[in-house]
Amino acid sequence: MIKLKTFIVTAVLAVLPISLAQAAGGTFLTAHDLGFGGSENADPIHPNRFWQVTEKTMNRLVRPSAAGEPTPDLAVSWSANDAATEWTFKLRAGVKFHDGTDFDAADVVDLLNRIKDPELDSPVASVLAVMEKVEAIDPLTVKISLSAAHADFPMLIMDYRIRMTPSGSGDTIGKTGIGTGPFILETLDPEGTTVLKANPDYWEGAPAVETIKIIAIPDAQARVQALLSGQIDMLRHISAQEKVLFENNPKFKIQQVNTGDWLAAIVFRTDIEPFTDVRVRKAVRIAADREAMINLVLGPGGGVVTCDHPVWTGDQYRAQIECPQQIDEAKRLLAEAGYPDGIEIDVVTSDLRALWVDMVQVYQQQVAAAGIKINLVKAPADGYWSDVWMKKPVVTTSWGQRPADQVFNEAYRSTASWNESYWKNPEFDRKLDQARQELDRAKRTALYQDLQKMLFEEGGTFTPFHVNQVVVTSARVTGLPVMFDDGVQYHNVSVGE
Amino acid sequence: MSDTTTLIRENAFVKLLNILADMVSRPSGLVGLSLVGFHIVLAIVSPAIVPYDYRVMDSLAILSGPSAEHWLGTDNLGRDILTRTMLGGQQALLVTSIGTVIAIAWGGMLGVMLGLIGGWLENLVMRLVDAFLAIPWILFLLLIVSVVGLGNAVLIPTLAFFYGIPVVRMSRAATHDVVALDYITAARARGESRITIVIKELLPNVLDVLLVEAAMRWSWMLLAFSSLSFLGFGVTPPTADWGLMIAGARSFMSFAPWAVLAPVVALSSLIIGINLSADALAKALGIDRAQKAPL
Repeated sequence: MIKLKTFIVTAVLAVLPISLAQAAGGTFLTAHDLGFGGSENADPIHPNRFWQVTEKTMNRLVRPSAAGEPTPDLAVSWSANDAATEWTFKLRAGVKFHDGTDFDAADVVDLLNRIKDPELDSPVASVLAVMEKVEAIDPLTVKISLSAAHADFPMLIMDYRIRMTPSGSGDTIGKTGIGTGPFILETLDPEGTTVLKANPDYWEGAPAVETIKIIAIPDAQARVQALLSGQIDMLRHISAQEKVLFENNPKFKIQQVNTGDWLAAIVFRTDIEPFTDVRVRKAVRIAADREAMINLVLGPGGGVVTCDHPVWTGDQYRAQIECPQQIDEAKRLLAEAGYPDGIEIDVVTSDLRALWVDMVQVYQQQVAAAGIKINLVKAPADGYWSDVWMKKPVVTTSWGQRPADQVFNEAYRSTASWNESYWKNPEFDRKLDQARQELDRAKRTALYQDLQKMLFEEGGTFTPFHVNQVVVTSARVTGLPVMFDDGVQYHNVSVGE
Repeated sequence: MSDTTTLIRENAFVKLLNILADMVSRPSGLVGLSLVGFHIVLAIVSPAIVPYDYRVMDSLAILSGPSAEHWLGTDNLGRDILTRTMLGGQQALLVTSIGTVIAIAWGGMLGVMLGLIGGWLENLVMRLVDAFLAIPWILFLLLIVSVVGLGNAVLIPTLAFFYGIPVVRMSRAATHDVVALDYITAARARGESRITIVIKELLPNVLDVLLVEAAMRWSWMLLAFSSLSFLGFGVTPPTADWGLMIAGARSFMSFAPWAVLAPVVALSSLIIGINLSADALAKALGIDRAQKAPL
């Protein structure tokens, strides 16, 4: 009996250090979709950048907070001249690359100049088109001159691809992946398993996991199966239907991450009767119950209510607007506009986007109470963007996440080629110009928020919600912040048993 | 004259009853007619007896399984599947039954006329029929629907046109069997007009073939109609329709099979019912000489 007890105690003592060691380290398993067919490389600004690697081995100058605002990464502070045409970035001291060399201004100048290399054909070149000249003022100061004023230049430099690499490493970085990040590239095998090891000297502190493995799984369904069977620890972009597979299962944790995607909206062309009348435009938008629509179309928590503008909750310029369903007010506006007996509208949609037909059916039900009769007209998915969108008076539309300034210029400026609601408002254009050049953050925010309010009051697009992204992890994963892909800091992520 | 007419009507009525009795006496006919009858009655009375409004959505009951409130569960917008399945055959039955009558009428009439007239006109039209038969009909249908638009006003004539083409061939062949017989020659010798010969002599003698053909065409047209709805070219949401319901629920099949099962069972049972009835009808009319039947 004593022998048995001794054996048990000895066995427990022998196993304990191993368990503790595993708890402190461990391997975080993740997948990538092999989007470039195996030609992925670790150069962050290359057209075939393997971002699932570079986001873990390299840092940016500026990174987004959970609210989407620029926060310090390798740059500790930044400022602009009065005209917002020259930006100065102060760099973090004492940061070292994985090969032991110091990070300094020369590395920033080298990378930013390399982006403009026509031979590289970097997709980031168009993002930084406004950048004219980069200079190292001293080892920890960089000055960037722009060809035109841009008050939000740090938003541009925050792009997920602009990550710092050692100067002169342009020819080798694709294979070495050397950066200043929390993980060091050990094996680069885009078609198999890519292995990253923890960087014990990381400037924000050593990572919580010892190893990260990035496994190539091209098929979306196969990735879901891999997560279900425990072959990977995390999968992002889970659809609402797939989410059901993980719900109420103690082996998994589910995160809802806000995104700026507005995948289902209805555009009423403001240049065609009766939508030339601002009262009709407002009536057809406020007659809908957006919260109920989210619950039905996306499932509860599947999206965030938005009041007919494109700026999402993670955007620093998002305005707080309330837009509850107002049936009586919609009726009053319609009567005032000359439609006391209600109005009949053909909404042209298609199976092109999964959410569209469901969303229009829900809209049809909701607005009927205000005397708005919706006829759902289905058009073929083929040629929808060329034959229906921006052609028919009322159509469904879908957009991906964009920063406020970008989307206002792309979809609402009177001269924009994708101004789908034919919204022409000189006051709107004037404020948009003013906002871009305004250096005072509070004033700039007020201007961008005015634009959103203007769209809610007078605009022609019914944008009921921004969708949430579903992220599923295995239950053993902790420390993964609830935020969009671009902002996750992986050194905080840990894995248990 | 009126006595003769009454007698003919009575004879026709007796003949119809005899055919029905013969059909019902066969297992395939009994099952088939029961299924078809059930669906027709359901389509007529369902608006009065369905438990819910087919359009009403419930965000608290999305894709919920069969329960006391929703016997067949709910779909992805929380709508009652029993209600939608009961109503789902209305449009299909309406469109395809009208479509079948038109298809048989124009296809049958043209076939009989061609069989009687013969000559270069018959050759010309039959080559055109061959050309149309060579075209994949679903592509042609999709093309027409894409160009002209959706709705019953487009679907009924389009389906009737395409499903009438093979009927032309069938009725012409049946006419050829009859047209050389002595009583047709006698009618011609009496100097009767072509129309009279077609109506009084030919049609009654090819009617049996056309009736069986109509039943078969009806089941195929139902499948075509549901396929169009499935592809998004049939009826428009939120109309309750089997093809549309199957299309909408197929992505949830792995965890909400009830949403797709109910319309599939309904559609299949109607098509099987029509096929079995057609089979029994063929036997009752003595057309199916092989006497091969599944039941």
